[in-house]
Amino acid sequence: MSHLELKNVSKSFGPVGVLHHVDIEVKDREFVVFVGPSGCGKSTLLRIIAGLEKATSGDVVLDGEVVNHLAAADRGLAMVFQSYALYPHMSVRQNLSFGLENTKTPRDKIEARVTEIARMLRIEELLERKPRQLSGGQRQRVAIGRAMVRRPGVFLLDEPLSNLDAELRVTMRAELAALHKRLDATMIYVTHDQTEAMTLADRIVVLRDGRVEQIGTPLELYNRPANRFVAGFIGAPHMNFLEGRFAGGEAGAARIELDGGHMLSLHIPARPKGEPITIGVRPHHIETQGGQARIPATVTLVEALGPETIIHAEAEGQPRIVAALAGQRGITSGDTVSLALDERFLHAFDADGRRVAEGEVAEEM
Amino acid sequence: MYANSSRYVGLLFMTPALLFVAVFVLYPLGQLVYTSTTDASLLGGGEFVGLENYAKAFSDKGFWRSLWFTVSYTLYITPVLMGLGFLAALLTTENTRLKQFTRGAIFLPVVIGLATSSFIWLWLFDQQVGLFNRLLVDIGILDKPLVWFRKAELGQLAVIISVTWKIVGFGMILMVAGIQSIGDDLIEAAMIDGASYWQRVRRIILPLAARSILLATLISAIGSMLAFDQFYIMTGGAPRGQTFTSVYWIYQNSFVYFKLGYGSALSLILMVIIMAGAAVQIALTSRKGSS
Ligand SMILES: Nc1ncnc2c1ncn2[C@@H]1O[C@H](COP(=O)(O)OP(=O)(O)OP(=O)(O)O)[C@@H](O)[C@H]1O
Ligand SMILES: [Mg+2]
Repeated sequence: MSHLELKNVSKSFGPVGVLHHVDIEVKDREFVVFVGPSGCGKSTLLRIIAGLEKATSGDVVLDGEVVNHLAAADRGLAMVFQSYALYPHMSVRQNLSFGLENTKTPRDKIEARVTEIARMLRIEELLERKPRQLSGGQRQRVAIGRAMVRRPGVFLLDEPLSNLDAELRVTMRAELAALHKRLDATMIYVTHDQTEAMTLADRIVVLRDGRVEQIGTPLELYNRPANRFVAGFIGAPHMNFLEGRFAGGEAGAARIELDGGHMLSLHIPARPKGEPITIGVRPHHIETQGGQARIPATVTLVEALGPETIIHAEAEGQPRIVAALAGQRGITSGDTVSLALDERFLHAFDADGRRVAEGEVAEEM
Repeated sequence: MYANSSRYVGLLFMTPALLFVAVFVLYPLGQLVYTSTTDASLLGGGEFVGLENYAKAFSDKGFWRSLWFTVSYTLYITPVLMGLGFLAALLTTENTRLKQFTRGAIFLPVVIGLATSSFIWLWLFDQQVGLFNRLLVDIGILDKPLVWFRKAELGQLAVIISVTWKIVGFGMILMVAGIQSIGDDLIEAAMIDGASYWQRVRRIILPLAARSILLATLISAIGSMLAFDQFYIMTGGAPRGQTFTSVYWIYQNSFVYFKLGYGSALSLILMVIIMAGAAVQIALTSRKGSS
């Protein structure tokens, strides 16, 4: 059982507020990812959970017990640092056994445990090496191994993959997911990479400026972002935001006129004519073929990726629209295309960036 | 071509430093070597006598006794200085205001002249007006004030106490630098790994600060082997020349007995002994460090 709750946690460094009234519940064996832009307080939050930092107010509750005053060593958590923080003067074996030696575990038990973990992480041949003799990916494995050694109930990982190259990152991501299944442990994972968040998380916590913007499963956040920030953060390429205003319509079917003059109808309550609104549309929900073409636009950039083609285009009143088109298209920069927005998947945000409640935006199947 | 010319440019840049070393180190050293082979006296003269001075040194009981006294002084004071220095460094490593102030206070005596501090302590140890004696009596360690400089051991202890006060901040500063260069994340990783404070000190901080500790030890030990002022002022070699250090003995021969040639030879012997000791220490510790 490893159930973790953060209750109304705030943190300031001197006069600077870094976290504001954070409430998060992490269930046993859940893989929760904290995601957000740089400086939003992800690491600080993780360090408060770990006991390396004290919250200014609020409670950290571990398995029903308030642990605010427990030292890091006594919380029984494990942490993987972004820098790995391997002990440079110790061999890999010593790095792994250090945590067990501190608790006076018998020598043979330590040996057995280290061997088991080394086998699981495929670092057996590295056991006698020093950290400086390892590659980035190998260090990463050792750091994870060191966290596993004491069989913690909760793993805290602070951007563990950010020092690896792109390819290795994808491999390690898959390994981490597999490891989570095998270890049956609760994992809290910090990243600013939304792809990592989407692929690894059972639930994602989106943070901005020390506040929780939204908590939900990856698809909940993707399908129903609570606000413009989450909408823009989750999903790649980023969602397009088109500015416009209400232009009549009846209850449940508002007419909206985008800047530049194009009309859309949306299943949201109509508001007074002229009130501004932002329409969000994901690049994958824009087409240039078939359908009713709506927005004439000039292509400014084409990224032919193979299985899909990303185009950047400019339309009147809308400076930049990105569309992700399936397959390979004979489009080149300078072409004029007609962009058709899939009206089933449009998102609407009011002037404060909040999602305009509708309930009618479809889920992607 | 290019490599050659740049080598000359490099030499050019080094010239001032080389000149400095030549004028202030190599030339005097050469003079010393030369003088050591003469029977020069402080009053002048100096016939070439070959290795006679060195031969004499080997049968000079006073010299060997002073050398042994210096070695014992070094063996006593170095662990004290390093131990207390390391403790002080541990306790004041973080850069909070209070700790920075404490560090400053401990370091302050380092910048006082050794002669000055020796005089201060000479008074503090005085059996009639000495505040240190008074303190020891007041807190009940002594029944009555001690006459510190009547016995060689007590005199040595008094010097060790005063020099520790004066110099402990030096080792502390070197070790603070060493400890601060250890990444916070390592210490935090050890905390998460369940290490207690002393486990962290023993298994993380000590080994990772080993280089600065070694450096501090080396500098401190060499300094102690060259001790002079503190004994000259506080014990004056008393009682019966038992607290002569090597340098003091060299001073006695060169400037009190006027035997400059002989003093030079003793200086060179001491230099070789210290260099050998330092080499052994470095060899021992660097082998341990690399294994
Ligand atoms: N010890 C500290 N003293 C003062 N301010 C701090 C301290 N630690 C963090 N901060 C501030 O708190 C804010 C949040 O920092 P934090 O490291 O939690 O961000 P982060 O979300 O992990 O960012 P990144 O993705 O860049 O790692 C930042 O503005 C940072 O400057
Ligand atoms: Mg961070």
